[in-house]
Amino acid sequence: MSDTLTQLEAADFINRSFKPLPRSYGDALLAAAHNDPRIVALCADLVTPTETDRFRDELPDRFHNVGIAEANMIGMAGGMARSGEIPFCHSFCAFITKRVLDQITMQAAYPNLPVKIVGFLPGVATLLGVSHQAIEDVAIMRAVPNMAIFEPSGPEYHAAMVKLALDWDGPAYLRMKRPETTPDAIEPQSLEIGKGVIRREGRDLTIISAGLCVSEALQAAHTLAVEGVEARVVDMASLKPIDQGLILESAASTGAIVTAENHSIIGGLGSAVAEVLMDKGVGLPFKRVGIQDRFCEGGTTPYLMNKFDLDAVAIAKAARGVMQKKKG
Amino acid sequence: MNAKHNVKDLESIATRLRLHVVDMVAPSGQGYVQQGLGAADIFTSLYFAEATMDPTNPEWPDRDRIFLTTAHNTAIFYATLAERGFFPVDDLKTYVTDGSTLEINSSERMGPFVEATCGSLGQGLSVAIGCAIAAKRQGRASRFYVIVGDGEMQEGQIWEAAMLAGARGLDNLCFIVDYNFVQSEGPMDLVMSLDPLMDKMESFGFACQEVDGNDLSALLSAYDVARETKGKPSFIKANTLMGKGVESLEGLMFHQLRFPPEVASSARAELEAQL
Ligand SMILES: Cc1ncc(C[n+]2csc(CCOP(=O)(O)OP(=O)(O)O)c2C)c(N)n1
Ligand SMILES: [Mg+2]
Repeated sequence: MSDTLTQLEAADFINRSFKPLPRSYGDALLAAAHNDPRIVALCADLVTPTETDRFRDELPDRFHNVGIAEANMIGMAGGMARSGEIPFCHSFCAFITKRVLDQITMQAAYPNLPVKIVGFLPGVATLLGVSHQAIEDVAIMRAVPNMAIFEPSGPEYHAAMVKLALDWDGPAYLRMKRPETTPDAIEPQSLEIGKGVIRREGRDLTIISAGLCVSEALQAAHTLAVEGVEARVVDMASLKPIDQGLILESAASTGAIVTAENHSIIGGLGSAVAEVLMDKGVGLPFKRVGIQDRFCEGGTTPYLMNKFDLDAVAIAKAARGVMQKKKG
Repeated sequence: MNAKHNVKDLESIATRLRLHVVDMVAPSGQGYVQQGLGAADIFTSLYFAEATMDPTNPEWPDRDRIFLTTAHNTAIFYATLAERGFFPVDDLKTYVTDGSTLEINSSERMGPFVEATCGSLGQGLSVAIGCAIAAKRQGRASRFYVIVGDGEMQEGQIWEAAMLAGARGLDNLCFIVDYNFVQSEGPMDLVMSLDPLMDKMESFGFACQEVDGNDLSALLSAYDVARETKGKPSFIKANTLMGKGVESLEGLMFHQLRFPPEVASSARAELEAQL
């Protein structure tokens, strides 16, 4: 460290000698805010981890770090939304759903206000352990009336998340994952409310997945193809409202379904798909891949996806199981 | 307890703990080096002098209980537990590696010496108050020490808990704030300062003291005063210096200071020279 640097500059230098992570969500939000003066951003002291640092610096009048006080943030957002603003609230998934559920239901969902709840660290995918893992957030938020839920399967869908949140008039929950490394240049992809995306075609079964499990499902489909099984892979980025048409059509055309999610098997994507099928009286070989009603632990994402049976290996295994039933 | 403890010995324990902090955080860059170095004297004074406990019987019901509610400050916490004999010092090498129970946020799956799982900030003080009320009813002499972060004090639950502790006059409770003046965003006044903190806590019914949180004798005296205070919970504002003990890191106000290997080795050398 040179003597000419102040201590603060030195520390800044130390911090910056590590490559910064991308900001594919945060930049899209900032761009939207430049176009729509109603957009404001709130954050409960997790600015960089929620990609809102550039927003803070470029639009300081429209940014509020409210401190480590999530409940107050949601209540404030309700007030702002009642005053014609569109507040995007940021924290980790665990804190911005579970810790503030009552504030969300009463101050955002019941009055059906455009309060946008943006969480990072979905499911098990964090070193930070059980307190920071949101493995039941989709189940909880799905049960809240008026609430929409969207989850991207990669940074190419991050800009679309902002658009979906704005297209939905009421409260919406975005379940975001910050890329852990800087991806190559990404080609932004669009999404629609209530629409899944067929990411791979196949006639033998359908794997319906979301978020981090989509790439695992695609990998599983590749393995299965080698074995002569062609899996359709659906990216259900719109978890609520869900794409009923695509679920029913997939059931009819492929005859077997596996769901795969970085979430508890209770109440999330798997449950949502099962509800659609049962409501229409469709019975077929079916298996949910997800966290088996247990608490997890911190670790690197590949380690955790493997340990808790959320990876391509686990999905392929479930697919073989439903194929067996389909044949038998 | 002041008279009974050789402060020089405690100082060298604190330095040893600081060395562990550097060694634990350096390999992965994961962990909180500035907070760990800053809080080393709080941990040393509580675990090696003030609190009564038995590492061979961590569930001993009459133990004094220490709650670390900033559960992310684990480099110093685990170093302390290991040096105090709760688990082998060698286990520190597994810090934040896949499969290790030595996670970045402490959880009670490690053992009963993690008194509650507190990674979600703002919850631990309430749990400590519950334990303190139960101990009173059960006639136990245990004392309850809660190490809270200054940023964490922005959580509303802290103030609900503090209001109750004051109203009930819980004199077996000692609320220590690790006042390093940094939260995730940086220095606290960038976000929201707690001032006037002493007045606030006083008005909530606490017996308040402000000490240099890097002065072991001052900390020990403050615990003495707290123990002798009857009819009120105690609050100790322990002013700590981030990076304390490593000159090049002292006062660097970063929540998560990234830590390249060359900085780690010079920090190590500096601490070793103090032993
Ligand atoms: C409820 C909750 N919100 C946010 C976080 C994320 N978080 C972890 S540490 C931290 C800053 C803590 O600051 P402080 O309490 O002063 O602790 P220090 O690191 O200074 O010891 C934040 C915001 C969390 N763990 N829990
Ligand atoms: Mg602090």
